[in-house]
Amino acid sequence: MKEQNIRSYLRKLERALWLRGLSDIDTLAEIESHLREATERGLLNGLDQAAAEKEAIKRFGSVRVVTSTFMKERISLMQKILLAVAVVAGLFFAYVDSRPTWDDTGITVGVILLTSGLLALIGFQRPWLLALAIGLWLPLYEILTTHAYASFVALIIAFIGAYGGWIVRLGIRKTFHTA
Amino acid sequence: MIGETLKGHLDLLLLAILAEGPAHGYAVIDSLRSRSSGLFDLPEGTVYPALHRLESQGLLRSRWQNDAPRRRRVYELTLKGQQALAKRQAEWRKFSKAVDATARI
Repeated sequence: MKEQNIRSYLRKLERALWLRGLSDIDTLAEIESHLREATERGLLNGLDQAAAEKEAIKRFGSVRVVTSTFMKERISLMQKILLAVAVVAGLFFAYVDSRPTWDDTGITVGVILLTSGLLALIGFQRPWLLALAIGLWLPLYEILTTHAYASFVALIIAFIGAYGGWIVRLGIRKTFHTA
Repeated sequence: MIGETLKGHLDLLLLAILAEGPAHGYAVIDSLRSRSSGLFDLPEGTVYPALHRLESQGLLRSRWQNDAPRRRRVYELTLKGQQALAKRQAEWRKFSKAVDATARI
């Protein structure tokens, strides 16, 4: 295990959770509290500060193990419902955009941006998955039928919307938490 | 091996520990280890996601306790959690009895 002190371990864990859309101020505070308590226990057992922190981290588990457990546990019913909504919305946008009578790319882009942003804001925890669920269908259809690779813009827009909504949600939580 | 087997029954164990009173994560993990004489020794960080899931399912609730030397998140069983625990304990008794009978333990 490379993470040998609590501060660097928490930094790595926060980054790993953040990359997966699982970063949460309360969770990190709780983990820090746990590690500090475990370190105190180690000090009482005669370890020095560095060894006590190392032991606390070792007992807690590697960043990889902890992150993957959080990922598995957080696929809640709400997340499944939001994912289903995102897939249906993405398929619907692809269908509408494929109609010969539809010729308003601006509206399609706007709706993809808004939907992905809104679902991330509501609470979908993995923005990358949300972006794929909404924005993949339209370019997939276009590429398979007309080889129009420019439609990949829809996927990029979905990523911008999903990460935008997710960042706003984190900001709201942080503001609320520190208030 | 024990770790993998334990994961399937972790909810029951966590609910049973918290049925005895509110506790923070560190105390729950400590209790899990000491009551099993060290046999249930999971990586401690893997217990928190389970506690959070049980909370999101309404079986536990948590609050931050600021009066301790350190700020701690304390978990307690809800009424729904008590009912779920009773149900899981009954299921476990039934399962355990069947295994004992089949394996002639």
